[in-house]
Amino acid sequence: MRRAQEGDQTAFREIVERYQSKVFSIIHGIVRQRNDVEDIAQQVFAKVYFSLRSFDFRSSLVTWIYKITVNECFDYLRKKKVRKLVYESDLSEDEVRRVENSEPAMDRQPGADTTLARRDYVLKLLSRVSEEERSLLMQKEVEGHSVEELAQMTGMNENTIKVKLFRARQKLVKAAQRLDRAPGVAVKG
Amino acid sequence: MHQVIVNRLEDYLAGSSNIPREFTAHLEACAECRTEVSEMQEIGAAFESLRSSDELAPAPDFYARLNILIEDQQARSFWRWFSWEPLFGRRVAFASLMALFLLGSFLVSRETEYAAGPTSPEQLIAHQEPSENPDAMLASLVGYRE
Repeated sequence: MRRAQEGDQTAFREIVERYQSKVFSIIHGIVRQRNDVEDIAQQVFAKVYFSLRSFDFRSSLVTWIYKITVNECFDYLRKKKVRKLVYESDLSEDEVRRVENSEPAMDRQPGADTTLARRDYVLKLLSRVSEEERSLLMQKEVEGHSVEELAQMTGMNENTIKVKLFRARQKLVKAAQRLDRAPGVAVKG
Repeated sequence: MHQVIVNRLEDYLAGSSNIPREFTAHLEACAECRTEVSEMQEIGAAFESLRSSDELAPAPDFYARLNILIEDQQARSFWRWFSWEPLFGRRVAFASLMALFLLGSFLVSRETEYAAGPTSPEQLIAHQEPSENPDAMLASLVGYRE
């Protein structure tokens, strides 16, 4: 990492090659659009490249890249939603229905509809918490890291991690309650 | 939520078998904590849908294309300094207008001051640079009277 920070291109290439599979897997888990995974991964590593000097070694490199990846995915989803709203505002109701039915299918497997609904639901909830909370929750729940591992990876102590996770979970519960009260609620798990 | 639950919540949600009796007893007795923990469990289970089951391999030219993107972004960030971005543009336009206004007011005030010209010999002498040669000053004064 230090070599990469000093401008060593070979060192940067090693970082890309070491973490590209992990980054691809995180992105695919969140966006599910195979076609977009590579584009988002490119943006992630471009951000890593331009922010190399700001990396201060307080957290591990994988935690830092993980956070950038999750943020990039949420940024992509937000932009996609805005584009869709702008596009749909110019269409009639029938046309909107037709477009929705013809949207490129995500990677579907048996029971995919329920999984997709749960995925949309949890993504909506995650968009209501901070970037740090989102990254911590995903590392805990999706990657399956323990509190001890998270403490090591982030450079924070275990109690801080527990408090941060607790606050993040409380925010998710509140967001879920608001979402459940809203019309057209997504399916819960 | 009560502290006894907060302290061991992560262990409980992770399915640890090492949960103190105090925790479970409180959970049974406190409906508020029970509801909140149950909601957290439900949301936690939904995270499973974000796990990618597929192994996606990057294309062989991934790194080459990444380099092109980086070079492109580097070039764009260089030219951005010279580009007319809306906010920057408005600031430059405002600063230019202010500078023009100040310069204009300064010139107008100077113009008004000298428009009529000095009305008396004393004013004429006062506006002139102090000369090293007193004869030149007298010559000016005589010239004015004529």
